[in-house]
Amino acid sequence: MRPKLARTVVRFVVIFAVVLCALAVGWPHVAPAYTTAVATLARPVLRAVEAPNVTVLDARGDELGVYRIVGENRIAPVVVFDRYLFFAVVLLVALFAATPGLGVRRRVARTVAGLGLLLVLHVAYLVASVELVYAVAAGRAVGGWQVAVRVLWEAAPILIWVVLTAGAWKRVLAASRAEGIEGSESPIAGPIGAEG
Amino acid sequence: MIRSAIERPRRRQVTRLAPRLVACAGVVALLIVLANADGAMSAIQGAFARVTGGILSLFGETVTVDGNTVQTGRFGISVVTACTGLFLTGLFSIAVIAFPTGLRSKLVGIGIGAGGLFVLNVVRLVSLYYVGVHLPGWLDTVHLLVWQSGLIVLAIALWLLWAGTQGRRHREATR
Repeated sequence: MRPKLARTVVRFVVIFAVVLCALAVGWPHVAPAYTTAVATLARPVLRAVEAPNVTVLDARGDELGVYRIVGENRIAPVVVFDRYLFFAVVLLVALFAATPGLGVRRRVARTVAGLGLLLVLHVAYLVASVELVYAVAAGRAVGGWQVAVRVLWEAAPILIWVVLTAGAWKRVLAASRAEGIEGSESPIAGPIGAEG
Repeated sequence: MIRSAIERPRRRQVTRLAPRLVACAGVVALLIVLANADGAMSAIQGAFARVTGGILSLFGETVTVDGNTVQTGRFGISVVTACTGLFLTGLFSIAVIAFPTGLRSKLVGIGIGAGGLFVLNVVRLVSLYYVGVHLPGWLDTVHLLVWQSGLIVLAIALWLLWAGTQGRRHREATR
């Protein structure tokens, strides 16, 4: 294993852990605003996909209650999402903060772009999972879709981060390869004093 | 003539990429089928419960394992689909398949990923048991925040270390 790569990876993990812990402390203060933002964006989407619109979203602090209109002035609870539903926001910011080889401006720009994408995916996840709950209640077999949506929800921050930082990691891996070549390829340079 | 010379490498790239894309799609399909197969999922959850119960026994706990539940007189945990690390292992495998290396390297990578994530997941389950016993107020935080994020970043680190090693070997082999 190349020492430079190992150092980079260890540094990445340590920075990630530190940033994650710091942001996790602040997350309870940000979560209510983020939950409200997701609910606000999801309402028109739900109105567009439902005919008639039967879903009521109630963002209370960092929890999101989903209710279904079952009669005049009557609603029934469908599901309550807890404060951990959107924690991927913290995960994503920590991943960007720890990524090596990004300058400050690029790092900030990509973090903002990534958070925008994640918000869109969270809205899509919320709408899809609510509609799938209705489908299950109606007796339709949608198990495969539920798993697919769950995988997408879990993978969303990683996919966004990979897409937006692939170039930086390519450079890190290329540098690691170059280090390996320096260290092993030349039969002359090797014994005299090459690193690696 | 010139056009065909330009198109040839592109065609070669597509030819190289296509099997990888098909394999990645295959892993996604396998994940969905597996997660929906109750028998297979019960077996996987049961295996995790038994291994976790076995390790807790080694630490002196009196453990009863029933299906996917590990129970002691002090605390109990249930291993559900999300606790098996199945999705993360699938994502890791997709990342390994997508990386340009030979078949053998990919199999090694998937083996390292599946094995490493299995071990990490067992450590997670054992630690969650003790958090549940000693710090029950922290259980949700450790379960859903610390370990969820921890597993992801450790999987990424594992992949980077594998890719850093295998990418170089592949280059040497194809030179």
